[in-house]
Amino acid sequence: MHRRGDTIRIQREYPYPVEAVWSALVDPAQLAEWLMPNDFRAAVGHRFTFRTKPRPGFDGVVHCEVLALDAPDLLRYSWRGGPMTEPSIVTWELSATAAGCRVVLRHENLAQNVYSWFVGRTLRLGWGGLLRRKLPAAVARRAAPAS
Amino acid sequence: MVSRAEAGQDAVFAALASPLRRQLLDLLRAGERNAGELAAAFDVSRPAVSQHLAVLQHADLVAERKSGRHRVYALRAAPLRSVGDWLGPYEDFWTERLDALGRHLRGRHGDPAAEERGR
Repeated sequence: MHRRGDTIRIQREYPYPVEAVWSALVDPAQLAEWLMPNDFRAAVGHRFTFRTKPRPGFDGVVHCEVLALDAPDLLRYSWRGGPMTEPSIVTWELSATAAGCRVVLRHENLAQNVYSWFVGRTLRLGWGGLLRRKLPAAVARRAAPAS
Repeated sequence: MVSRAEAGQDAVFAALASPLRRQLLDLLRAGERNAGELAAAFDVSRPAVSQHLAVLQHADLVAERKSGRHRVYALRAAPLRSVGDWLGPYEDFWTERLDALGRHLRGRHGDPAAEERGR
């Protein structure tokens, strides 16, 4: 896992064929099991949402659009949820390895959301707590943006 | 002894602690505004708004430039990055979800290591 600028990149290897992993990424029923309930369809231009439990500062809806699709090794969609004002970009790249399937996940374009992230986070936590702690990083880690 | 970075963070926190200053930043999020436009958006005196803008400038959250007779203000997001690990929640989220993907695959297709041992 590493960051470069405004991008998160996480690489994993799963001991299953690329096709099995690909279907977990594009089958709405499977996606619902490990990511979130959704109305995804494997078609470029399709707009869909991921839905999770709402909480203060986040209505529980992530707005997405399929941007690129090349079965079974590339999937890219926009991702805008919570306090984000601009869509970010999520890219999945799959490749076969001796042991199964390598998955590279990139979440990009998070920069323009830094301010809204900060405001959303602080609205949720309250200024008192934030100022007392002086370490929003530690506080922020307690809540994922959309789980 | 307070480091320069810490002093900068204190200025950012202090600047953000005022609701009116946060509203000013919200307005600037949409683009540059001159002093008159900003003052018109609030029910407080223009000098009061100027004072708030000065606090934001001190924290480097807002940049000021002159354009003819006007002072024009723009948002600077960079200092916010220094005060918060804002990528952290996304990393945590995806790390968790990728773990869940692994569990999902194992539940659906079985445990390959166990099959290996069974052979």
